[in-house]
Amino acid sequence: MAETQTLDARVAALGGADAAPHRSLWRRIEPAAWGAGSFLVLLLVWQFVPYFVPLKPGTRLFFTVPSRVAATLWQMIVSGSLWAPLGVSATAFAIGLAIAIVVGLPLGILIGRSSLLNAMFDPFITAFNATPRLVFLPLLMLWLGIGLWSKVAIVFIGALFPLLINTYEGVRNGDKLLINVVRSFGAKEWDIARLVVVPNALPFIVVGLRLAIGRAVLGVVVSEFFGSQEGLGVVMVRAASGFQVDVVFAGLIVFAGLSLLMTGLVKLVEDRMTRWRPEHVNAP
Amino acid sequence: MAEQAIVRPTFAARYRKILLGGFAVILFFAAWQAIFLFVPFNPLFISKPSLIAAGLVDLIGSGDLFHDLAVSAVPFFIGLAAAVIVGVPLGIVMGWRPRVGYALDPLMTVFYASPLVALAPLLVIFFGVGVSGKAVIVFVLAVFPFIFNAHAGVRAVDQLLINVVRSLGGGEWDLYRMVIFPSVLPYIVASSRIAVGRALIAVLVGEFFAASEGIGYAISRFGDIFALDRMFGCILVVMVIAVVLTEGIRWAERAAFPWRTRQ
Amino acid sequence: MRQATPVAGRCGLGDHDRRLQGEIRRTQENRIVRMAGYIEGRNVSLTFRPPNRAPLRALGGFDIAVEEGEFLSIVGPSGCGKSTFLNVVLGLTKPDSGEVLMHGKPIGGPGSDRAMVFQEFGLLPWRTVQHNIELGLELKKVPAEKRRATAERLVVLVGLAGFEQHYPHELSGGMKQRVGLARALATDPDVLLMDEPFAALDAQTRDLMQAELLRIWREARKTVLFVTHQIDEAIYLSDRVVVMSKRPGRAKKVFAIDLPRPREYEMRVTPEFNDLKLEIWNTLKDEIVA
Ligand SMILES: Nc1ncnc2c1ncn2[C@@H]1O[C@H](COP(=O)(O)OP(=O)(O)OP(=O)(O)O)[C@@H](O)[C@H]1O
Ligand SMILES: [Mg+2]
Repeated sequence: MAETQTLDARVAALGGADAAPHRSLWRRIEPAAWGAGSFLVLLLVWQFVPYFVPLKPGTRLFFTVPSRVAATLWQMIVSGSLWAPLGVSATAFAIGLAIAIVVGLPLGILIGRSSLLNAMFDPFITAFNATPRLVFLPLLMLWLGIGLWSKVAIVFIGALFPLLINTYEGVRNGDKLLINVVRSFGAKEWDIARLVVVPNALPFIVVGLRLAIGRAVLGVVVSEFFGSQEGLGVVMVRAASGFQVDVVFAGLIVFAGLSLLMTGLVKLVEDRMTRWRPEHVNAP
Repeated sequence: MAEQAIVRPTFAARYRKILLGGFAVILFFAAWQAIFLFVPFNPLFISKPSLIAAGLVDLIGSGDLFHDLAVSAVPFFIGLAAAVIVGVPLGIVMGWRPRVGYALDPLMTVFYASPLVALAPLLVIFFGVGVSGKAVIVFVLAVFPFIFNAHAGVRAVDQLLINVVRSLGGGEWDLYRMVIFPSVLPYIVASSRIAVGRALIAVLVGEFFAASEGIGYAISRFGDIFALDRMFGCILVVMVIAVVLTEGIRWAERAAFPWRTRQ
Repeated sequence: MRQATPVAGRCGLGDHDRRLQGEIRRTQENRIVRMAGYIEGRNVSLTFRPPNRAPLRALGGFDIAVEEGEFLSIVGPSGCGKSTFLNVVLGLTKPDSGEVLMHGKPIGGPGSDRAMVFQEFGLLPWRTVQHNIELGLELKKVPAEKRRATAERLVVLVGLAGFEQHYPHELSGGMKQRVGLARALATDPDVLLMDEPFAALDAQTRDLMQAELLRIWREARKTVLFVTHQIDEAIYLSDRVVVMSKRPGRAKKVFAIDLPRPREYEMRVTPEFNDLKLEIWNTLKDEIVA
């Protein structure tokens, strides 16, 4: 009996079940408090490790503390040494992502609406989506040279497939019943797309966009590691080989910030667009 | 579109997709081969299917291909196994213990969103270019999908089902057996599909950086020496492996959890 | 007409009814001589052929003739093809053989003279109640103000005032069903196809909606094809009740309901009503147990 009761309590807590009114403030800020607390603890532990743990000289070379990383990042921002490489990386990111959107959405809709195209494209989409984009990098460097366009190509390949596949899934997933409903009121193909297919696919497309942004950032980073002369990724590799660990972490923070910012923006758009959805959205 | 609800008999409709797909693939390679008859491409920049096939036969015959694959496979599986062992329990604890979830969720989100592959240069320098360096990169990239999906799986456990099982006299163990495991397991299998993709990237990153063997090394070396036929061959091999792994998991998902299949 | 439709029930029509309907074409005699109906299904057969599954014969020679302004109910075992037939009349599905005529012409596709209240509601989840109701009007290019006015009127009619701006997921099953009803009424179709439209309603709301439906039917002179599992409901509402066989669905027997109109709630406890109910149940029962 006792067992099941504890289980009950846990399950209730899982669902964020009703709380007594006087506890509701704490209830609301509790998750945030725990989250912030864990961040703080992590940073503090990291900062003070060197005071408690004797590090071998070899290890110390690879070690840095948050305060040093922050100082370095600040230094890079004010001295301006961050901006030029970041601009190079951002350009490749933006161009690649833009092309992926321009190509991916229409193609996804087309493939979603035509079972013939779907059947013919499917093996290629499956293959390219499963394969890490990185294997194409040496080839792309050979074709496009070291520089902007091989990076753009990697970003494009990475971002295209999440967009394409999600758009396609969203279009395919168009509820047959709803399509029948609007058809019964005299809707033509265009009305069906406007009234059912697109609204239904939008949440999927947004999820695809979020994935695509993640992959695009990843694409910029790895392609700059191997096939570039400039960019933030290049700065990071050089710093790593020169044991400037704080610079590596500073670069990581910038990239992470960039992708969090972008996905955050997409999330905002998503929340506005999907007010009609029940709480738990299960997009792929 | 118009045939949405109008049902007509279609012979071999079930094979249509496979046939058309196979046809498209064959067409693609045929066109690739044929285009060389008309356009004199520089063989230093592109290769054609017949040469690629010959190169692959060569690589297989000499045993180089399998050697490189074996070298890459070891850190791949070690890293992946470590990711499962660490990620799944962590995710389950985060889901089952709300406070742990609150504490770790933002942290994990940040880690998941950051391009952790950016740490690869450091990891390679710290752990070396051998098995351990690559395995650590694989682990770092692959662990987060497991954490997140195990977490989501526990949270998705249906309260109603718990009540149903309990009302039928089920105890704690029955709950785990009949509700919690079956509902978390599909999430974990699904995450392994994502993790496998990221693990492949990790192996390649590790081997592109600095290595003397492995499939990633082979690709970049054949690129350096303009052996395009072999390079394409290796790329195709990686593609096939990636497809087999992810589709294999997808197939296993469908076979093991038929109730979850969408459409 | 491959299959003569047996007609049971009392012959002769009450003066009361005749006065109300005022139309001779409702008489029993007319039905027996079988004038071409307003909606006429002739030997309609339809087989579903889902991929990777055995074909499934849903309708096997369904015959029916509905007269203009008639209220006709269809009852039958679950899965016997009732929804399928309504879909054929709506023009969403084409039968394999046989035909469905309306005004003597085959049904080629959906048209604004027909509207369906769908069994599974079929509300667009991204539209509010009001915009869901306006759907058909929007597709008919009715100006926004007029649409709004119609929607406002219908929202009140189906008892959902105050929920205009809610999304479907915020409604109960019965409320969704009433939105579906309002949506079908909004375009003011001549023919209402209703697929278990009151199944999700509580008993009291159901009674109210039945009365409301009868009022609309009488005032707007609509033709109604009404699918239900409730024999009471079918008798109470209808001029005739068609009992379908189990799948593949055919018309097994047609019952004329000669209860006077307007129907009063009290009629449900009269001996005639109960006799009819028993008779229909006995016809239906064989299809369900067998
Ligand atoms: N799209 C479809 N594909 C395949 N089979 C279908 C399809 N729609 C209906 N069926 C099958 O056709 C048969 C008739 O279905 P229908 O929906 O018309 O039944 P129904 O009489 O409305 O049943 P209920 O009273 O339960 O609503 C069922 O056995 C069903 O399984
Ligand atoms: Mg039905």
